[in-house]
Amino acid sequence: MSARPLRRSARTTAMCAMLVAAATGLTACGGLTPGGSSAGPAPTGPVSTALPTGSATLTIVSSENAGTTKALAQAFHAKHPNITVDFQYTGPDDYDKSLNLKLSSDQAPDLALLNKLGTTVKANLVRSLDDYAKAYGWDAKYSSTELDQWRASDDGKQLGTGHLWAGPAGFSVVGVFYNKDIAAKLGITPPTTRAEFDAALAKAKAAGELPVQLGNLQGHSSFIVQSIVDATDGAAKTSDWVNGKAGATIKTPGGTAAATTLADWAKKGYLPDGANGTDLPGSVAEFTKGKGLFLFNGSWDAQVIDKAAHGKTGFLTFPGESGKATGIGTSVAYAIPAKAKNPDLAAAFLDFMNTPEAAQIQFDTGFLPVAHADTVKGAEGNVMNEVAKGWAAVNKDNGLVNFFANTDATMGDTLTSQGQQLIGGKIGPEQYLDALQNDWTKGHQ
Amino acid sequence: MTSTPLREPRGTAHRATPPPGGEPGARSQARAGQPTRTLRVGPRRPAGRKVAYLYLAPALTLYTAFVGLPWLHTVWLSFFAWDGVTAGTWVGLDNYRQVLTDPALRASVLHALGFIGFYSLLPIALGLLLAAVIGGRGGRRYPVSRTVLFLPQVVPLVAVGVTWKWMYSTDGIVNQGLRAIGLGSMTRAWLGDFTWAYVAVGLVGTWVMLGLCLVVFQAGIQKIDTSLYEAARLDGAGPVREFFAVTLPGLRAEIGVAMTITVIAALASFDVVYVTTGGGPGDSTTVPGVLIYRLAFTNGEVGAACALAVVLSALIALVVLGINRITGEKD
Repeated sequence: MSARPLRRSARTTAMCAMLVAAATGLTACGGLTPGGSSAGPAPTGPVSTALPTGSATLTIVSSENAGTTKALAQAFHAKHPNITVDFQYTGPDDYDKSLNLKLSSDQAPDLALLNKLGTTVKANLVRSLDDYAKAYGWDAKYSSTELDQWRASDDGKQLGTGHLWAGPAGFSVVGVFYNKDIAAKLGITPPTTRAEFDAALAKAKAAGELPVQLGNLQGHSSFIVQSIVDATDGAAKTSDWVNGKAGATIKTPGGTAAATTLADWAKKGYLPDGANGTDLPGSVAEFTKGKGLFLFNGSWDAQVIDKAAHGKTGFLTFPGESGKATGIGTSVAYAIPAKAKNPDLAAAFLDFMNTPEAAQIQFDTGFLPVAHADTVKGAEGNVMNEVAKGWAAVNKDNGLVNFFANTDATMGDTLTSQGQQLIGGKIGPEQYLDALQNDWTKGHQ
Repeated sequence: MTSTPLREPRGTAHRATPPPGGEPGARSQARAGQPTRTLRVGPRRPAGRKVAYLYLAPALTLYTAFVGLPWLHTVWLSFFAWDGVTAGTWVGLDNYRQVLTDPALRASVLHALGFIGFYSLLPIALGLLLAAVIGGRGGRRYPVSRTVLFLPQVVPLVAVGVTWKWMYSTDGIVNQGLRAIGLGSMTRAWLGDFTWAYVAVGLVGTWVMLGLCLVVFQAGIQKIDTSLYEAARLDGAGPVREFFAVTLPGLRAEIGVAMTITVIAALASFDVVYVTTGGGPGDSTTVPGVLIYRLAFTNGEVGAACALAVVLSALIALVVLGINRITGEKD
């Protein structure tokens, strides 16, 4: 028996040796405090709008797979043959998770897509675009709501105000797609008020049609919830919540109406049975097969829907109490990393986004143009044209609100798990809103 | 750093597993050697041990560099509040307090423990049955079935998850099959069902682990002395009796190995759950692995993620030690 302590002491010695080795290794790797050696303050200084005359390469990292950025890059290269654009695509999930590492590496790209600001601003990983905005006159070229989505305080927590951190390269807007065949068969005209919308749902259900198609495996019931909140409370008030303005809450008349409505729709059988086990592409496929009168979805799927059911689909913005058009949406936006080697060239590419030429490319590839929306035109009968009309109405009424999922780092997961439970009848509207608000408080305190 | 918290549990647990044969040997040597010194093999013994360490050195070095140090780094990071980018701040045991009081964690640990049934017990039971039926001793019967059953081990788990996600979907092959045999009323989106999602994910684990168990058991059966079977047969034992009297006791060590591997896989499960349900619906299939991933890569709480990883590796080490104690001791 006495041999056991002996063995243990040998093990302890080994452990100590390993600890010492570990400590040495860590010190060699640049400090024992994690993150202690990361980037310093973001560079400022004179900026230039001149393009390089010799050959140059602009590197872009992105998770945008509609082909917009690629097409824009080709057009940019055609205009400036001496400039090559190196476009590197990564799938959305992996992209966000590895972005900070890419930005802080010595091989940082010249432009990086931001799905959200995250910790990039706080960690000084991207540079403020204020100087470029001034040099290129972006404030005059873009509507303020478009650029405001990418403004933030220096700690990155309060959005919608402060320095500009990214430039938009095409917008998405979420609204309601509807099946024109089913609508015509049931004598439903595109609803313009909430009452008409509810009547259409009841009519569809009574006729044995599925009222609302939904895939909630990744939490897209949040589109329904937010559409109702935006339309009920108005864009300004909802934006305050999304932007993290102190004192904002989701427990508003709109929030309550939204959560109650979603639970109610699930109870009444307005949503498909397998919603919690179907992902967004799955629900789009079902919708284009003719299952469902309405589908809450973004313009990014408009081309997919049009291809599968050309001429059979319409688009409307969710009708609200106020009669003003609202829409959930944000842009594909590119930031210039603090460590970018060609910041001036990157800014020139961002400026190219607001030309009429870029507008048509953005529209053709499924995005709504950042400027010159009145000049773009799609093929006859393409649902994109209706989406563009909705987009124009939303902009006219200042009705664009950023995605709920973007309000803080964990909100996407919360919306997913709480939305699944609400639809599954595991929790009630009250608990749903509590969970959202708790997450918000944690993320913005 | 990126993959460290994810790799840890597996690596650590592995560390806790003593090399087969080594530990019991050392123990009996120590026990027997203490009272009577005559059993010691003289002065050459320590030298032999040193040489042994020399042989171990390359593996030990690599192991220390790629498993030991990253694990210690994880432990170190667990004492910081760190978002993964900006400088972290020392918070002592706060992260542990946070993860241990989190109700979501308790649920996820229960889910992981429940997966032992699907990842471990079920495949071992099925594996034993299959090995006895198709494995047979004294011959390599049914090589094709063996290969097919082993395939899940070869396919990356992410691909496994994606494939099963299709199969479980509303119009997937599982529901098509149910409709074909007249059970259309049972069809559902399995991964979105609060009652069935957990079972559905668990069965994927069973499918993955079955092949491994089967191959291990078949190898073990080849090793059992054929005279034992002859003796059993002479005594009038049928195939069932033979299985329980000869095959099962003979496979004790193999069952221990299979148990260790599959239990680690159950407790450290991540890939399949992440790809198929992401922990949903609600949180009905969350496992610690998914929470670690979320904390580190979505929430930007790397310190808390590391603390949870350390807690998970401790749990795995405990369970595996328990298994070794049960299956390792000879009577």
